[in-house]
Amino acid sequence: MQAGFIGARIKAKREELGFSQEAVTRLLGFKDRQTLSAIETGDRRVSAEELLRFSEALAVPLDYFADPFLLAGEGRFSWRQSGVPAPKLDAYERDAGRLIALFRALGAEMGREPPLLRRTLTLTRASSYEDAVAAGERFAEEFGLGEVPALRLGEAMERDLGILVLMVDAVPGVSGAACHLPELDAVLINRREVPGRRHYDLAHELFHILTWDAMPPERLEDFAAPPRGRVEQLANNFAAAVLMPRAALDRLGPWDGLEGNVLAARLNAAAEPLGVTSSALRWRLVGAGLLPKAVAQGVDEALLRNNGREEPARELPPLFSKPFAELVAAAVDRGRISVRRVAGLLGLAIDDLADAFAAHGVAFDPGI
Amino acid sequence: MDTNAILEAHRTGSWRALRGGHWLETVEACVIETQTGAQNRRPEQRIEEAELHADLKAIHAVTDAERAAALARDDFLARLDEGERDLWSHALTRSDAWVLCGPDTTSLRLGVRLGLGDRLVALEDLLAAVGHRPKLPLRRNYTAAWHRAERAAMALEEGGRCP
Repeated sequence: MQAGFIGARIKAKREELGFSQEAVTRLLGFKDRQTLSAIETGDRRVSAEELLRFSEALAVPLDYFADPFLLAGEGRFSWRQSGVPAPKLDAYERDAGRLIALFRALGAEMGREPPLLRRTLTLTRASSYEDAVAAGERFAEEFGLGEVPALRLGEAMERDLGILVLMVDAVPGVSGAACHLPELDAVLINRREVPGRRHYDLAHELFHILTWDAMPPERLEDFAAPPRGRVEQLANNFAAAVLMPRAALDRLGPWDGLEGNVLAARLNAAAEPLGVTSSALRWRLVGAGLLPKAVAQGVDEALLRNNGREEPARELPPLFSKPFAELVAAAVDRGRISVRRVAGLLGLAIDDLADAFAAHGVAFDPGI
Repeated sequence: MDTNAILEAHRTGSWRALRGGHWLETVEACVIETQTGAQNRRPEQRIEEAELHADLKAIHAVTDAERAAALARDDFLARLDEGERDLWSHALTRSDAWVLCGPDTTSLRLGVRLGLGDRLVALEDLLAAVGHRPKLPLRRNYTAAWHRAERAAMALEEGGRCP
């Protein structure tokens, strides 16, 4: 039994390497190009000997051809990171891609496919920052994010937009990522970031997901550097407005006449319940015209660090997400993927899977 | 014997009885996975590799050709972990009488898909055959009752013959 992966993977690798069907036909010793074509479309089975020859000719391990839990040349990532060496990020991208591929493959088999249609924002590179802010405000309103949008944003992305949102232990220096696949969107958030940064990353990556075709983001974005390019600045304005709608700013105001230490204390006190960083709140107030830029720049940065706490917030969200945990647990239970394979893909010991899923209220007994 | 079954037999103090009463074989990848640091279990079992080599009647090296043959036969094999994949890749090369002892639901499903449901055996059944009752209870998937029920359910789902 061959589920069709093998032919599709052969085609993907051949195209990735820039080989024509004629060239691979010669390499494999087929009589004609139609044989390869039939294999690639799944109309003809691949024999064991042929599979071995494909593995050698295309220089990939055998597993590559049949592993459903792998992004094989599919999907584009946009990483919010700073100073992560390229080989380390490449390796992490492969691991992160496996989580997304796992969700995609199991979801398709178990009746939890992503939405047929994608939602998009009607913004373009020509849009103004005010347009992005207005879109963020409307998003928070239309998706019912309430008085503290940071608390409901992830759930709305999963439930209303069908986006896979995963909390992960990323390599140091990675803050988050968006991933765009033909049939699925995903956002990864480094759960070890402080809450305000996590929420901001989520809203920022949401912008990229909702504007991917009109404004495809760069693969790498340095969150520690000033935003480069219009798309990133539009994303920042959208994110700030989603998390800090004007109504919330007014509710937490008034802001006139504040400066220096008094302003810093007010920013810290207001940022915490909104689930944002004091610094992000400061610039949102400037953008909303509620705080003069010169006054904002005059605040001592040290007073805003960790929202005025001595230590960063310690709260650590559980790994992955509830929909992810539910799907994987059900798939193991129904014999769609082995427990050992899941543990390996998730980077957890078998005995830790139950705890990781229980953190989302998902009961799971590996039974082994 | 797959990795999980070897670990469970050690955890429950059943290994000595098992290897004394049966002709046990496995593959190299499973032996590697039984070693400290590679078990992916918490806590780990302490299993001396040399003793394992002495206890097992054979530890098979699996070739890429055997893996390719197994994948070409059913690419559902890719749902398994490395040791489980190699164990099936080896088993499918054999023409003698063999049974496979592994507790994983997906491995069971593969066996049923391949029409080899009657070759799957529960650890509890192997132990019962040599008159051994583990001091510690076996985990769910190693019990004969679970194994029988799961195999029957799989056979119905896969539309194959009832094992």
